[in-house]
Amino acid sequence: MQLSLVGVAHAYGDADVLTDITLDIPGGRILCIVGPSGCGKSTLLRLIGGLERPTRGQILQMGRAPEGCLNPLTYVFQDFALLPWRSVAGNVRLVLEDHGLPGAEARRIVTDVLARTRLSDFADALPRQLSGGMKQRVAIARALAVNPAVMLMDEPLSALDSQTRELLMDDLVALWTRAPFTSVYVTHNLAEAVRLGHRIVVLSRRPGRIAEMVDIDIPLAERTADHPDLARQQQHLWSIMRDEARAADSELVDG
Amino acid sequence: MAEQGTPVPFRGGGFAPRAKRGVGVVVFIALIALVEWGTRSGWISSLTLPRPSDVLATFGELWSSGRLWEHLAPSLTRFAVGSLFGVCAGIGVGFAIGLFSYARAGLVPLVAALFPIPKIALLPLFVIWFGIDEASKYALIAFGTFTPTVVATYGAVDNVDRTLIRMGQSFGLSWWSIVRKIVLPGAMPGILSGLRISLAIAIILLVAAEMLGAQRGIGAYILEAGSLYDLERLFAGVTILSLLGVAVSFAIGAIEKRLLRWRN
Amino acid sequence: MTFTRRQTLALISGTAASALAAPAIAQNRKITVGALRLTSHAASFVAEQRGYFAEAGLDAELRFFDAAQPMAVAIASGDVDFGITAMTGALISLADKGAVRIIGGALQEEPGIDGQKILASDAAFQAGITAPGMLDGKKWAVTQAGSSFHYMGSKIAAAEGIDLQYTPLQKVGAIIGAMKSGQVDGWSIVPHIAKALAGSGAVHIIGDVADYLPDYQVTTVFTSKKNTTDERAMTEEFLKVFSRGVDDFNAALVDKTEGDAGRDAMVELIHNYVYSDQPLEKAAPSIINGAMRLNANAALNMGSLRDQLDWFKAEDLVDDGIGIDTVVDDSFAPTMA
Repeated sequence: MQLSLVGVAHAYGDADVLTDITLDIPGGRILCIVGPSGCGKSTLLRLIGGLERPTRGQILQMGRAPEGCLNPLTYVFQDFALLPWRSVAGNVRLVLEDHGLPGAEARRIVTDVLARTRLSDFADALPRQLSGGMKQRVAIARALAVNPAVMLMDEPLSALDSQTRELLMDDLVALWTRAPFTSVYVTHNLAEAVRLGHRIVVLSRRPGRIAEMVDIDIPLAERTADHPDLARQQQHLWSIMRDEARAADSELVDG
Repeated sequence: MAEQGTPVPFRGGGFAPRAKRGVGVVVFIALIALVEWGTRSGWISSLTLPRPSDVLATFGELWSSGRLWEHLAPSLTRFAVGSLFGVCAGIGVGFAIGLFSYARAGLVPLVAALFPIPKIALLPLFVIWFGIDEASKYALIAFGTFTPTVVATYGAVDNVDRTLIRMGQSFGLSWWSIVRKIVLPGAMPGILSGLRISLAIAIILLVAAEMLGAQRGIGAYILEAGSLYDLERLFAGVTILSLLGVAVSFAIGAIEKRLLRWRN
Repeated sequence: MTFTRRQTLALISGTAASALAAPAIAQNRKITVGALRLTSHAASFVAEQRGYFAEAGLDAELRFFDAAQPMAVAIASGDVDFGITAMTGALISLADKGAVRIIGGALQEEPGIDGQKILASDAAFQAGITAPGMLDGKKWAVTQAGSSFHYMGSKIAAAEGIDLQYTPLQKVGAIIGAMKSGQVDGWSIVPHIAKALAGSGAVHIIGDVADYLPDYQVTTVFTSKKNTTDERAMTEEFLKVFSRGVDDFNAALVDKTEGDAGRDAMVELIHNYVYSDQPLEKAAPSIINGAMRLNANAALNMGSLRDQLDWFKAEDLVDDGIGIDTVVDDSFAPTMA
């Protein structure tokens, strides 16, 4: 399944947040959206997932969701959004409960995704007992449980320290390599973008437009932190973003 | 020349009260012992305070004669039935206010208007509406627990983490599932701490409820002791209410421990 | 404080002068008399209005209460010197604690004079309750356990061999509301209230308390124990003055020996305190209807008082060991046969 955005624009009252976004999200690949803070990247992600309605334009779903997909457009949030009163397994089970799956099937899915995210030993732990990185792995496991057509990741690593971030990026790469998934990945961190993105979209400062689109052909598994091509790409993206970021930084918050 | 070092003066500490076990009990015992000694030596007249040992004896007599239960049973029934109605209705209305804009716009001013009404003042009205028997007592206690429960509940619903609700929506959970599995448990800490206040109010209102037409009950017992100027019975009755309050607080603590295990 | 010689002399001569003017031992002795705004407290009103207190050298201040019980507590605390109220459980308890003493009688049921009435609510009356004996198992209104209403109900029930459900409602106002709405079935109350209620059709008079308690001493005069020991002279003086008020009241409204003029003057005097929020014409019938015999010379009816104390003990409302001597000091007023 692919997504296609046609002339999408969004405004909160009089304030334009996004203008004229036309974009294809190809299947089986990771699309990264980067941009200076306040450029509307997270808003765009909420529009794509149907949590908000765009003021203008259309967001189209091309083709049908694959068989066995319980929730085609599935988010992974920056602050994990785990229910603190449910165990790790309980949090994963939550998103299966409304689908009327037989108990055994639900149990099989939970066991499977916990194994894939290396959380099997922590099935009964409560969120407060987990580190930030583990919490985000639970959130990823939960997203995988509904077998999504598109994973919408909203700065999933931003709340974590840099070591944890590295480890989790390796995890994401491993997951994608085993079973490629479609994803829109929003981040303000260019290093993450060049490590994970097959295509990188740079948004301008508010109101956000597409300033640049970059494809990176290096397979994910071969990308390392000190890869020279990646460093060059990152430098290039930064040169585009720097001026936007500086201008955005000097604006008053309420415009 | 090496200069003589002086230690950096310590400026921290304090402002962090810590739990000291047993101090509360010691204060209680010391106060009671002081009153006992004062009344025995005549330094406190029998008009001012009863002798604690006499209060204990009165309590013992209540216990052994079986009259304790005779008074406690109707009071506990009134407390349980009244607060059950009040708390259930309060949680229901609190959820409605927390979830629906029209309910909020329509009911918040109403609750704000009802909250400060001294429920005792409405007792004669309740007697006319519900009769002089149990129903008016249930109604008074229910009404008294209703408003604080509403306020606590909608505050708790408002405070439920919106990102959790958005998460539920993003996974396609039904409205009812979100309310049941996310809003209700998320609001539970606020509801339970509101319950502490509501039930304390219910105990206070027990005495008021038993002002009109109650022959039995702890409140009626206290009022009777007051009208007879029988300080031993008065204090025995008040002590029973205090113990009831402690028991209720303990019970809520146990429920919190069970339901809110997920908190630190 | 220090006095100059001249001030001292002036003080002494001033005291001497007032001592000559007033016959009593206490010169402008300040006393506080507790009262309720009821006709039964009229003796105090008369003594105050006609200057009997002042003549006896007592600078009396009337202090009004809503109910008998706070008055008893105020006497125990020393805020009030003398009070008039029914012999309640609170009064007996306070006497037991050595705080107060009954020193005289105030109001009493007397055959031939309109006394307290037994009432049935309209609902009960319509259901066929037309006599006190038919109240078996019904709700009998009382202010509080151990109040005079409780005593009367209990005595009526014992005489009729019936059971009553004593229903505490704290205040007379609440009882009237509950009687009118039929929440309670029976009650007893002073005649003027009874007649006013019966006149409106909300309740029905179904008997007289006097038929069950012929010489019931309804209210008594009481004071702090300290006044009976340390201030004997003042206490005696108070009772003398109080008795003058009693005599005036009885002559004007009970024995009616002073004609219409005397009656009207007395009604007008009482109206300063009772029903003062109503015009005189409207208040007069209530005041006249409420006139029950006040005890001459504050005479004590020991038989009735003993019966009341025994009832309190039997009901387990007061301690069993309390003797009549603890409650009543009969050295101030005469006792009846």
